[in-house]
Amino acid sequence: MTDTETPPAVADASPTHPEQTPANRPNRLLELAERFALVVVLVVVTIFFSVLPASRELFPTIPNVRIVVASQSVTLLLAIAAMLPLISGHFDFSVGATAATTCVLVAGLMSRHSTSPWVCIIAAVLLGAAIGLANGIAVQRLGMNSFVTTLATATLLGGAIQWYTKGQTITGNIAPSLIEFGSHTWLGVPRVVFLVAVVTAGAYYLLTHTPYGRALYAMGDNVAAARLVGVPVRRYGITAFVLAGAVAGIAGIVLTARTGGANADNGTAAVFPALAAVFLGATAILPGRFNVIGTVIGVALVAVSVSGLTLAGAQDWVNPVFNGAALAIAVAASSYLGRRSRGA
Amino acid sequence: MTDVSLASRPSRDYTLEARGVSKRFGGTQALDEASLLLRPGSVHALLGGNGSGKSTLIKCLAGVYRADSGSVVLPGYDGPAAGVTPSLAHQAGLRVVHQDLGLFDRMTVAENFALDSGFPTTAGRIKWRELDKRVDELLEEYAIPARPRDPVGSLRPAERTLVAIARALQDQRDSEHVLLLDEPTASLPEHESAALLAAIRERAAAGQTVVIVSHRLSEVMDVSDEITVFRDGRVVGNLVTAESDASDIVRLIAGKDLANGLAAALPAPEIRTVEPALAVSGLAAGPLSGINLTLWPGEIVGVAGLLGSGRSSLLKAVYGALPRTAGAITVGGRALRNGGIGDALRAGLAMVPENRLADAALTSMTVRENMSVSVLRSFWRGWMRHSTERRTAADLASRFQVKTAGVESPFMSLSGGNQQKVILARWLRREPSVLLLDEPTQGVDIGARAEIYGKVRESTAHGCAVLVASSDHEELAELCHRVVVLDQGRIVAELDGEVDASDITYAVQTHHSLETPA
Repeated sequence: MTDTETPPAVADASPTHPEQTPANRPNRLLELAERFALVVVLVVVTIFFSVLPASRELFPTIPNVRIVVASQSVTLLLAIAAMLPLISGHFDFSVGATAATTCVLVAGLMSRHSTSPWVCIIAAVLLGAAIGLANGIAVQRLGMNSFVTTLATATLLGGAIQWYTKGQTITGNIAPSLIEFGSHTWLGVPRVVFLVAVVTAGAYYLLTHTPYGRALYAMGDNVAAARLVGVPVRRYGITAFVLAGAVAGIAGIVLTARTGGANADNGTAAVFPALAAVFLGATAILPGRFNVIGTVIGVALVAVSVSGLTLAGAQDWVNPVFNGAALAIAVAASSYLGRRSRGA
Repeated sequence: MTDVSLASRPSRDYTLEARGVSKRFGGTQALDEASLLLRPGSVHALLGGNGSGKSTLIKCLAGVYRADSGSVVLPGYDGPAAGVTPSLAHQAGLRVVHQDLGLFDRMTVAENFALDSGFPTTAGRIKWRELDKRVDELLEEYAIPARPRDPVGSLRPAERTLVAIARALQDQRDSEHVLLLDEPTASLPEHESAALLAAIRERAAAGQTVVIVSHRLSEVMDVSDEITVFRDGRVVGNLVTAESDASDIVRLIAGKDLANGLAAALPAPEIRTVEPALAVSGLAAGPLSGINLTLWPGEIVGVAGLLGSGRSSLLKAVYGALPRTAGAITVGGRALRNGGIGDALRAGLAMVPENRLADAALTSMTVRENMSVSVLRSFWRGWMRHSTERRTAADLASRFQVKTAGVESPFMSLSGGNQQKVILARWLRREPSVLLLDEPTQGVDIGARAEIYGKVRESTAHGCAVLVASSDHEELAELCHRVVVLDQGRIVAELDGEVDASDITYAVQTHHSLETPA
C-alpha cells in the first residue's frame, strides 16, 4: 500500500480540457462569494436561531455563547489536529481516541497517584505525540495505509481505555486548578478559549508562514513532486502526525478540565464533527484547500447549529444527523472546488 | 468493398466531409470555420500546437462537443455539424483511439475486446472458446504477436496501441470505419513508434481511412498522405505530404519564421580549463553500470538511447533519486553522498522529470506556488514574505514567457508548454550548476519548445551545465554540444561537434557512431 489514498478535497485529478478553461475561470465577484459563502451561512443560521420563537429566549444570550464556545473548544482542537496530516495527504482518525486516552491519563494520574497538574499536562502532550509518532512511522516508514492504520490505532486505544478504567468513570481528586481552568472565565471569556486560541494561532502560523507548512501542502498535492524538489517527505509527514498527536493530547487535557474527570468513552465519536468542520473549512477562505480560518468557521457553524437545534427542542438524534449531513455536504463541496482549482 | 458499404457512402471522393465547423468556449474561439475532407484509404494528419483546434475538431466530429456552426457529411448523415451526437458518429463508423488507450492492463487481451463489444454467452455463461477464436483472428489480422489470454500489460507499447486500434475497429466488415488516432506515438519510444506507424500504413493500404493527430513532424512526413495544419482554431494549410517541405510546415504551425530559433548556431562551450561542472565515474545504479561522464560548465550534453536503455535512470542516479551501488559523483569538485536528493540540491543540481503531471506538477496549486516550491526558505524571515514571493513569481512568469492570466491562476489552467516553462522556471531560479532535463519538451508545441530551448541555452551562459535525456533525436541534435548514447545501461557511443538527428538515430540503432566505432 502506498500513497494512493488522498483526502477527497485534494483527490480526483481529472483530465483537463485546455479549450474549456477560459469559460470556467470565475470572475472576481464569484470568487469572493465563494470564499465567504460559509461565513454568510454562519451569520444566517445565527440570525435564524436568534429570531426563531422556540430558541430566541436562550440562544442569543451571553451564557449560551459561553457554553457553545467552551464546549466546542475540544472539537476545534481535534479539527486542527486532524487537519495537519490531512494537508500532507493522510487521514488521521485516531485524534479523538488520542484525546480520550490522554484525558484518562490525566485523570488517572491525579486520581490514583496524586500527580501534580504540570507533570500530568506534560505527560499528556508527550503521550499524544508518541501515539502520533507511531502512526507517522507506520504510514511514512512502513508505507501502511493511513486510513486503516489510524482506525486500528483508535480501536486499540479504545480498548486500552476500557482496560484501564474498567468501564468506570474516574472523578475523585482532580486538581482544583485544572477544574477551574475548565469551568471559569477570564475577562468574561471561558479560560480554555485562550489555550485554544494560542494553538489555533500556532497552527495558522505554521501552515501559512513557514516553509514547513507550504511543504505539507505540496506533499498533499503531489508527494513525488515534493520529494523531487527536496522536501524531506517522510520526516515532514511523520512530524505532521506527531503534531496532530500532541494537539490531540492538549484536547485531552481540556476534556479532563471541562468534565472534571474521565469516562470510558473511546472518543471516536468526537472525530466526526471535527472532520466535518475541517472539510467545511476547505470550502471557505481558500476554497479547495484545508485552512485554519476556514476550519474555525466550520467548527463555529456546526456548534451554532447544534446549539440552536438543541435549544429549539430538537430530539437527540438531530445532532448526529446534522453532523453527518454537514460532513457529506462539506466533502462534496470541497471535492468540487478542489477539482475546479485544477482548471478541470 | 461490399455493395452495401458503397451505397451508404454519400460521395465516392470522401469518406468524411466537414465544412466551416466553428466552436466557441466562453471567450475563446477554439475552432473557427475549420474544414476537413478525408479520402478513403488515406492517412490524414492533423498538425498544430497545443490549443490550435485539432482536438476540438475531432471532438466535434465524434459528437463529444456540439459544434456552433458548420456542416458534416458522414455515411448515413448529411446535415449541420451541431446535429452530430456520439451515437450518430459511432453508427457512421467513426472510431477514436485516445492517447491513454483505455486498456485494462491487468486483464487479458480477449477480455479487453469483450468489455468493449460484449461477451458471447449462452444462457448467461461466457463462451470463452468462441471469444478466444474471434480475438485470435483479429490479432492475426493486425499482426499482433500475442495470444488472447495474455494480459495486456505484458505487451510491448506499440502492441498495446494496436490492441486498442483493433478493439475500436472490431465491428467493421471491410475497412469502412474511419479511425481517429489522438497522439498515438506521444508516449512511445522511437522504435515502437516506427512499428506502430508501419502497421497504420498497412491498414491504410487495405482501405482504412485514418486520421492521426501528432506533434512529431518527422513522423507525420513519413506516415501521412495529406496534412491539415491548424493554428489558433483555423485551418492554415491543406497539403499533400509528398509535395511538401518540412520547414514550410513548421512555418505554418508556428505562424512565424522559426529558422533562427530552431537552427541557431550553438555557442562554443567555454574552454575546458576550469573544474568540471559534473564528473561521474564508474557509476552503477539500477540498470546502469560503468558510467563515466564529465560535463564542463556551459556545456549541453544529450543522452540518447532506446526505451529501457537507462536514460532516465542516469539522470535520477546523478540527482540522488536512484541510489547507486558503485561509483562517485562530484559536482563542482564536491563529492555527493549516496542516496539523498538533499545533498544534490545543496550542490546545485536541478532536475526536470520526464512525467510532468506525475512527478513535477502541484496540480491543485497556483502558478506562483509551483514556481516557489523550490526556494521556499528564501522567503522565510520568521514569517513568509508573501509579497516578495508574488513579485518574484510575476517577474519569472514574464521572463519565461508563461502565457497566463496571472501567477495566482491554477497551474492546470495552463497549456502543456506553459506548464513546462513554469517547471523550468522553478529550477532555473535557483541558478543551478547542473541542470538535468528528462524529455523536456514532451507534449509541448513548437513555439513553446523554441522558448524552452532559449531559456536552457541562456542558463549555460552563466556556467550551468545541462544533461538532456530525450527520445527526440531532432531535439538532441539541435540543443546539444555533445551526445552520449546508452544501451543496456552502458555508454556505447559518443557524438561530438556537429551532429544531426540521423547520426544520433544511427548510433542509437547500431550502438556505435559513424566515425568512432565503440
